[in-house]
Amino acid sequence: MATGTLTERHTEVRAIPARTRRPAALLAVSVLVAAVLALPLVFLLIEAHGAGVSDVNHLVFRPLTGTLLWNTVRLTAVVTLACAVIGTAAAWCVERTDLPGRRAWAVLVVVPLAIPDFVVSFGWNSLWAWMHGFRGAVIVMTLAVYPLVYLPVAASLRGADPGQEEVARSLGSSRLRTFVRITLGQAKGAILGGCLLVALVLLAEYGAFEILGYQTFTTEIFTEFNGYSFAASCALSLVLVVLSLLVLAGEGLLRGRGRVSRSGPMTQRISPPLQLGWTRWPVLALFTALAGLALGVPVASAVYWMVDGQPPLLAGGANVSLLDAAGHTALYGGTAAALATVMAFPVAMLAIRHGSRMRHFLERSTYLVLGMPGVVIAFALSYFTERYAAGFGYGTSALLIACYAIMFFPLALVGVKASLARAPASLDEVARSLGQNRLAVLCRVTLRLAGPGLAAAFCLVFLSAVTELTATLLLIPTGTQTLATQFWSYETNLSYSQAAPFALVMIVVAAVPSYVLGRFFDRSAHAQG
Amino acid sequence: MRQLAVSGLYKAFGAHPVLTGVDLEVPAGSLTAILGPSGSGKTTLLRLMAGFERPDAGTITIGDAVVDGPAEYVAPERRRIGYVPQEGSLFPHLSVEANVGFGLPARQRRGGKVGAMLEAVGLGGFGRRYPHQLSGGQQQRVALARALAIEPALVLLDEPFASLDAHLRASVRADVQEIFRRAGTTAVLVTHDQDEALSIADRVAALRDGQIAQYATPEDLYARPVDADLATFIGDANLLEGVLNAGAVKTILGTLLLDEAAALPDGQVTVLVRPEQIELASGGDGIPAKVTSYGYHGHDAVLRVQPERDADGPAITVRIIGEQRLRPGSPVILRARGPVYAWPRD
Repeated sequence: MATGTLTERHTEVRAIPARTRRPAALLAVSVLVAAVLALPLVFLLIEAHGAGVSDVNHLVFRPLTGTLLWNTVRLTAVVTLACAVIGTAAAWCVERTDLPGRRAWAVLVVVPLAIPDFVVSFGWNSLWAWMHGFRGAVIVMTLAVYPLVYLPVAASLRGADPGQEEVARSLGSSRLRTFVRITLGQAKGAILGGCLLVALVLLAEYGAFEILGYQTFTTEIFTEFNGYSFAASCALSLVLVVLSLLVLAGEGLLRGRGRVSRSGPMTQRISPPLQLGWTRWPVLALFTALAGLALGVPVASAVYWMVDGQPPLLAGGANVSLLDAAGHTALYGGTAAALATVMAFPVAMLAIRHGSRMRHFLERSTYLVLGMPGVVIAFALSYFTERYAAGFGYGTSALLIACYAIMFFPLALVGVKASLARAPASLDEVARSLGQNRLAVLCRVTLRLAGPGLAAAFCLVFLSAVTELTATLLLIPTGTQTLATQFWSYETNLSYSQAAPFALVMIVVAAVPSYVLGRFFDRSAHAQG
Repeated sequence: MRQLAVSGLYKAFGAHPVLTGVDLEVPAGSLTAILGPSGSGKTTLLRLMAGFERPDAGTITIGDAVVDGPAEYVAPERRRIGYVPQEGSLFPHLSVEANVGFGLPARQRRGGKVGAMLEAVGLGGFGRRYPHQLSGGQQQRVALARALAIEPALVLLDEPFASLDAHLRASVRADVQEIFRRAGTTAVLVTHDQDEALSIADRVAALRDGQIAQYATPEDLYARPVDADLATFIGDANLLEGVLNAGAVKTILGTLLLDEAAALPDGQVTVLVRPEQIELASGGDGIPAKVTSYGYHGHDAVLRVQPERDADGPAITVRIIGEQRLRPGSPVILRARGPVYAWPRD
């Protein structure tokens, strides 16, 4: 090819830049989604600016902030550590030993995740009044959220390469040393990921701490907001966001650059389970105690109050209200879940199918939401719409649904990404070569393959929305109630017997999608392994 | 008559040029292999033909229609391309029947056509199965049937046999060749395996540095490569210094007849002698040499030998058929056969 022709061709290139195709539409939609996700933070900064920098400074640097900081940090540290130990130990016993009834324990140990934290604390606190303050908060929160560590660690142990442990043993490393250096090393990413979720949940929790009488940033923001001290809510929100972002950054630092890799063909080979011998009896006792405390107490307490408590003040009234509240819960949760899944689709598509720089940018925008506790997102949205958007959307169900969708977007993204990994781009290309246009390919191939995963993403968001209390209390349209808010109003009036049915229905409604989810992630772990 | 024409094709990914002016004309009803080392851009070329990517410049014509050019772009689904990717990429959620019928209009999907296609690839009666119930070779045949069912103007295959076990590869390859021949299909196949390219294709296009270095029949490409680099890429090659005089080349292996196709002026040349053009004799005329290494392959053996006259020069590779085992250091007599191919040496 002569060089003359080459230059000619290059001029031609400049004349028709459109020939290099980029996923322009996908990119535009994803950037729009990222912008929506950034809204709460933007609103918060605008509000802080509106409140006046010196005022906010004054409100941040006062003794109360120090107390809240101490309360929040010590609780987060202790509970995260406790969850890391319990979650990892339980996962190791279920996945790697011959513990009797492992399949059943795998379910029983996870189910507490479906029980809202404020229901767990209600269960304990309504039965035993000494269960309050720091001690109560540690016990209740550990029992409520340790599955967040258990789930990823169990998945990681199941998928880990047993060959590495065998090599370590062959190189003269003892069983204990192998466990510490290899097994825990392989699970390190999962443990840290779980701890991150636990810490973020603790920073964002409101209901449980309110019941237990334990004061954190979130409870204080809530109180200030209800007392119309917007500048104070704003200042405390800023501190809480910084705290959350610090947790996120810390997790990133600890995780480091190392990646767990698996060499050789991805055949699922399982190392023979460790024989527990006589130690299985104490281990069984510990598992029974864990399930009893985390699952048994809250459920039994709700049943006790319903059956044995004082008679309902309004006969029949609670039933209608239960149906009504369940309807609203399903409506809000379902719409938010659909919205979050739809929002996550283009972002996941871009992350899975296209360049890595885009992926980084979009993952950062997700982090922005992870670092925003629900109370802050709700506060930012409600105050902004009331004060700056002339009340547009304020007090409507649309605002609550939008808040849910933003809050739980990271969850939806995880599910949608996992589902799209099952629909590789090469199948799309084959389908197009067979004469199908983009829309037909989407319907006949991509969505068909990603379907179960999309359903899982929907369930994950739905489940979280059903058990959400903090943002719901702030944004619920006047005159309507969800299961969570109705439970809350009975609970705060000490009408435990009326509150109990709402707690039980919430547990049942949340347990179904958690079961579906467990099945999905269990199967995908096996399919990948 | 040509069925596919590619001219002046350029493609770069960022600052990294992949194709720098590809020209190729594929005759109708023939099977062309695009041969190149990994990273040479052969898969990119195939994806441009299919329309999954767009070139920076150049035109692609299928049949009489320009499908990609400065002013035209035909979407992949309107090119009538049968595409068979590396792993077969069957739709995992569909049965074998539904996979094969995927590209057909809805009313033909249940008709006899799907069955006929499956018969043609030797998988009659497998229609109700699902992809995960098939072996690798069977999956590859279903992918082929799916591509052929739409009666494509052109079939594109991307390393279609790479994921198969060695013993399956030869038989599936032969089957595919036979299926194409019977259907009169025009096909382009991409591979990095010269053995595969030479054995399956009617014509081979060697891709090098983003351009087609040579497009020829397998026999031509092997015996008469355009330069010494290509000669070593296509197979084992001894490149010897020689002096050409009146149709005969004088080399360290004696005076050899020059291939008539190599129209060269007399003088210094580089000579290509393939290992199987040299035989070993136990005595008589020939070049005395010593064995330096011996590699046994069952069907043949490959030796490295050092001519005694040139103890410091390059070792010579010889391929022999037979069972005699030669230890390093054994003396042998080399006899080379012409005609040989050569290029001018500067």
